Amino acid sequence: MHYMTRAGAVRAVDGVTFSVERGQSLGLVGESGCGKSSIAISLLKILPDSARILSGSILLEGVDILPLSEDEMREYRWKRISMVFQAAMNSLDPVYRVGDQIIEALELHVGSAPSEAVERVRELYDLVGLNHSFIPRYPHEYSGGMKQRAIIAMALACEPAIIVADEPTTALDVIVQDRILREMRKVRDALDMSMIYISHDMAVIAEVSDVVGVMYAGRIVEFGETKDVFENPIHPYTRALMSAFPSVTGEKRELATLPGEPPNLLAPPSGCRFHPRCPYATEECRSQPPPTVRRGVHWADCWNPPEDQSP
Amino acid sequence: MAHYLVKRSAQILLTLFVFLSLVFFIVNAQPGDVSSFYALNPDIPPETRERMQDLFGVNDPLWKQYLVHVRNTFTGNFGVSFSHYPRTVADIIRERLPRTLALFLTASVISFYLGFALGKIIAWRRGGWTEYTSTIGGVTLYTVFTPWFGLMMIWLFAFRAGWFPIGKFLDPVLWRDAPTDANAIFNRMILSAIVVSIAVFALFAVTAKRRMAHSRLIRIGGLALSALAVAAAWFATGTGYLAWDILKHMILPVATLTLISFAGTMLLTRNSMLETMREDYVMAARAKGLPEKDVRDRHVARNALLPIVTSFVFSLAFAVDGGVIIEQIFSWPGMGQTLVSAALTEDLPLAVGAFVFVGVFVLIAHLAADILYVYLDPRIRY
Ligand SMILES: Nc1ncnc2c1ncn2[C@@H]1O[C@H](COP(=O)(O)OP(=O)(O)O)[C@@H](O)[C@H]1O
Ligand code: SF4
Ligand SMILES: [Mg+2]
Repeated sequence: MHYMTRAGAVRAVDGVTFSVERGQSLGLVGESGCGKSSIAISLLKILPDSARILSGSILLEGVDILPLSEDEMREYRWKRISMVFQAAMNSLDPVYRVGDQIIEALELHVGSAPSEAVERVRELYDLVGLNHSFIPRYPHEYSGGMKQRAIIAMALACEPAIIVADEPTTALDVIVQDRILREMRKVRDALDMSMIYISHDMAVIAEVSDVVGVMYAGRIVEFGETKDVFENPIHPYTRALMSAFPSVTGEKRELATLPGEPPNLLAPPSGCRFHPRCPYATEECRSQPPPTVRRGVHWADCWNPPEDQSP
Repeated sequence: MAHYLVKRSAQILLTLFVFLSLVFFIVNAQPGDVSSFYALNPDIPPETRERMQDLFGVNDPLWKQYLVHVRNTFTGNFGVSFSHYPRTVADIIRERLPRTLALFLTASVISFYLGFALGKIIAWRRGGWTEYTSTIGGVTLYTVFTPWFGLMMIWLFAFRAGWFPIGKFLDPVLWRDAPTDANAIFNRMILSAIVVSIAVFALFAVTAKRRMAHSRLIRIGGLALSALAVAAAWFATGTGYLAWDILKHMILPVATLTLISFAGTMLLTRNSMLETMREDYVMAARAKGLPEKDVRDRHVARNALLPIVTSFVFSLAFAVDGGVIIEQIFSWPGMGQTLVSAALTEDLPLAVGAFVFVGVFVLIAHLAADILYVYLDPRIRY
């Protein structure tokens, strides 16, 4: 997926392939500007005018949604695939009651009668731990954490097969964040739906996902089961990310920050896109795209992977 | 809500008070007094002039005159007009104000509706021919010299095409042996308009609340039906042709006022829409699978409306000027014309009265906007 800007095409998502099983939770992690949100909005095809999906396919329960018309696509949105937005704080329309905004989706997709819809909203509020008395209130009467819960309730409303959660807890303080993460996991297990969880925070990803894709400069550079990726990271970028954040499970590590910034996607670096920042970069990294190193389902694109340390 | 209303009303009253004081002191800053008009008239002896000064109270201390002025204003006593002697100012205003309001409010409502609808469309479909024509056309009309444009309208549609009368409020020949006088007919017309508006407003509220299917059909049908019913009532009473005559005289000035003002709302709507379209809740609405039209009307336009309402009310105050010019050009005997002719004939009581009423009108519009705003934006705390 590219953004057509005056300066040229920003190749925000470039050659990314992944799949999510029913009931599975996929984590996408990477610094800001790596194309994570671009993937999310591509999945629902809610792109801004400047964005184009030039090629590829997005299969949702076996159907490629890319060639679908807007009218056909609307049938999929929210009913089959819903989303918790990065800017959850501002995803509620300020002039309508929160309950009514959930009912809007219910009436559209489930076609429920008003009384049933209200009943369903009550169930959803129970599920995400919100008090019923807030159903007829306006967004500005909610706290940040409550808005986030309401957004999650809204995303669950039509029982979609998959939810895309784009940095759902980034704007919240750590305690609220933790509680909401737990809540989301509970809900997902209870309803057996798939989830794509996007975050720049390795610790959060480690907690919520079954499989992880590490994104850098519009690409997935490492992919595997969460356990494998965290215990035996292959790609130097993954290792850098891990040392940049304290681990939630194990011993405290030094907060080594990653020097530099992700590249400008108007003109990504040649060869391995990480080479300008990689401490292990060699001559071939600069000129040739790196090969894929496979260890079972776990893989990464790198010229100089470390020794396999798994037993 | 009640508390907020009381607070706002108190503020409005205070503003009105300041306004009255300003009017009083501006008038008193003029050299001379009412009787100076007769100073050079040899037929009026000095004793008469002194007697007159006593009668008018101009020899009283200024603060006493001021108190009398304020008291008289609040009791609706503006004295007797000089140029329409012996009619009282209150009586003249009672006759003229409804005519101006009818002209003004009709044009404002149409212009707002037109500007909002066009602005909505051109923001949503950028770069189409609709955007091109309505922007060029709207801005041209908005910046055109109002008197020239008014005369052009008369020349084109009244003089050349002959579709409308050339001006004035009614056709005197037609009314020579009319059973009812024009003011009574006009008041009844206003009443009819109010009835139709209430009916349409109720339909709007009900269809919006219930999210009914075919809501547009129901609204337009309701408007047509109630208008038809009112028209039928008019012709049943045999005064329909008189109402139609006044209506015919209204069309051209209303159209002119509408055309010169809709572009302001249109461009503002366009900008406000473009800004709102970037909001996250708009993307969320789209992600929910809502049809484009619902995203546009229910979420984008509804939020874009807030700043537009505010500036629309402010523009009403400026539209008063335009109204004065339009009334002059179309010889429409309303407040604008009254104000101008009172100033020209040095009819001081009438000028002050008309001036005060223009101020009151603007203040009431502000109060109405405040109330509307509370209703439109739940975030406002009162
Ligand atoms: N509307 C847009 N127009 C142009 N470029 C954009 C737009 N949105 C995002 N980008 C660019 O696309 C890249 C990926 O952005 P994004 O998907 O938001 O990343 P992430 O969610 O990982 O932070 C960034 O380089 C960003 O500058
Ligand atoms: S390919 Fe080279 S530059 Fe890229 S991550 Fe591996 S070692 Fe670093
Ligand atoms: Mg993002």
